[in-house]
Amino acid sequence: MRYFAQRFLQLIVVFLIVTFVTMVAIQAASKDPARDLAGPLNSTEARVEEIRKHYHLDRAYPIRYAYWLKNLVTLDLGNSPTLGASVRTLVGQRAPITLLLGLYSIGLALILSLPIAVYAAYRRDGPFDRFVSGATFAAVSLPNIILAVLLGYFFATKWRIFPYAASKIWPWDDFGEHVRNVALPTITLAVGLIAIFVRLLRADLVNTLQSDFIVMARAKGLSPARILWRHALRSSLFSLMTSVALQFGGILGGAVVAEQIFALPGMGLLLFQAVQQKDLLVVQACAALFALAVVIINFIVDMLYAVVDPRIRHARALG
Amino acid sequence: MTSAMHRPQDGTLLELRDVRTHFSTARGIVRAVDGVSFTLERGKALGIVGESGSGKTILARSIMGLLPKRGTIRQGEVLYAGDDLAKLDLKGMRKFWGQEMSMIFQDPMTSLNPLMKIGNQIGEPLRVHLGMDKENARATALKLLQDVKIPEPEKRLDQYPHELSGGMRQRAMIAIALACGPTLLFADEPTTALDVTVQAQILDLIQEQRRDRNMSVILVTHDLGVVAGHTDEIAVMYAGTLAEKATTAELFANMKHPYTEALLRSIPKLDQPSHTRLMAIGGRPPDLITPPTGCRFAPRCPYATEKCRTEIPVLESISAEHSFACWNPVGSSHWQSKQDELASNAGLASAGGQA
Repeated sequence: MRYFAQRFLQLIVVFLIVTFVTMVAIQAASKDPARDLAGPLNSTEARVEEIRKHYHLDRAYPIRYAYWLKNLVTLDLGNSPTLGASVRTLVGQRAPITLLLGLYSIGLALILSLPIAVYAAYRRDGPFDRFVSGATFAAVSLPNIILAVLLGYFFATKWRIFPYAASKIWPWDDFGEHVRNVALPTITLAVGLIAIFVRLLRADLVNTLQSDFIVMARAKGLSPARILWRHALRSSLFSLMTSVALQFGGILGGAVVAEQIFALPGMGLLLFQAVQQKDLLVVQACAALFALAVVIINFIVDMLYAVVDPRIRHARALG
Repeated sequence: MTSAMHRPQDGTLLELRDVRTHFSTARGIVRAVDGVSFTLERGKALGIVGESGSGKTILARSIMGLLPKRGTIRQGEVLYAGDDLAKLDLKGMRKFWGQEMSMIFQDPMTSLNPLMKIGNQIGEPLRVHLGMDKENARATALKLLQDVKIPEPEKRLDQYPHELSGGMRQRAMIAIALACGPTLLFADEPTTALDVTVQAQILDLIQEQRRDRNMSVILVTHDLGVVAGHTDEIAVMYAGTLAEKATTAELFANMKHPYTEALLRSIPKLDQPSHTRLMAIGGRPPDLITPPTGCRFAPRCPYATEKCRTEIPVLESISAEHSFACWNPVGSSHWQSKQDELASNAGLASAGGQA
């Protein structure tokens, strides 16, 4: 319980630091944030000054940040001058599809990498293991932007299996169409993840399979499947879990690329447009949401360590 | 199908015929076990004794078939109740593992699954092999924990290995090994990782369970003291071969092989004055890739002659209960003269020291 509280506090601190630094970085990069927020078109000086007052841009960064935080809590994050809508509406519309994309790609990667890694480790140095080793190496060295272009060319343009310009269809509206629309961006993000997951898990499994308790499990007469899935896998999950947490931020970054290529109207696309048009509040809100998602995933993984390993659980209960 | 039907209630349970286990490595073929034959009766305990690298653990694992397939070359016959285990593949062996034969390992800390509750680890073979349901397996696991005399057995079912003491862990491992009522139990250095105070308890427990269950036990150890009170027979192994084999009483009363003698001398005795220097065996075990041409112990043997260095001694019986492989055994005339010589040298040395 104490551990839980500790991690939760840490989560909040990390979130505050990340959002503060983002705010400073974004606003410091602008010649005049108030002018940017007033809109791209010729705004009057009076309008600019009004905006400056409204968003407290004449105050020091910590005070600006405090006001921004207050607005965040009340979910009133201002308006986008370029997109003509409130930041809350924009992010609210776009964020779910990107979060889904992130979860789908991690889910797909886990579902595929677990059996691949288990079999490769079981038949270590066999033909399958060698093939996997080569294929994953190729996959990690392939930039996802190139992968996206290739996937788009074959699956959308040439074979027309999936739509090229994806549209935002919610799973609860039409699940089949939803899958068709998110498939290519999901695969784009998942390929690199599968490669990383497989390599990490296989290496850990190979180590675990040499431990004494695996010899003991064999001596108990258990089947290879039971030894692999029930005894070896659980002890080998730590690098994988850590990697899921660490990769999540990268996935959201990758989503910017994938959404761009497949024209999927998610938060990545929104962020991209906002950065181009110096829509500072939208950029800040997107960055805050990304940070929140990453911090939460890391928190969940921290909790999962204790679920998987009773020794961590007990050490923490004592500490 | 397995020998559950025809395994004997008495008489020979296990017979090894010229068992060889070699490993191919980058440096060459390692002859870890090189021609071992013996028989073991149902319900008897055999101690396999030797120093590290003598091949005793590899021999035990060869009998059970628990060696990695890759790089292992096996020869000879392992007759278990009439079945030649050496001919079985992994799938065939698995029917024996956990049911017909099981093994207690040296380090209970690393040999128990750290992420699984003790109760589930004991219940697992019961459910897998005997098809018990969850409650049944749990009840039987509790019964087994009581059999191995673990304190507060009920509480242990839901604990993890790291919550138990070393002795309790080893008892839990014994419970796992006993779960499906094996006929042959291997114990590979079962007390080496334990406190001295619990070593005897664990050995007594294994003995007691052997009697209760009419099991045969193969106790692998480097410590002659461990096998002394807990086995019916002892096989002394050196460099992959048997140096001497005898009933326990006969071996201690009448040991013939200089290696056995040296092993015994390396154990501290209570009736010796404290700080008596222990007799270490000089030199090191031979390289098993290119073992010595004659007797493998010859390079380290104080009594070795030219014959020892060129001709391999074979295991010969001097009685139904005693055999050994040595050209100049303990008590032979050559041994006696060498003894006298060594004694007078020692006398000279100490006299010289005083002068």
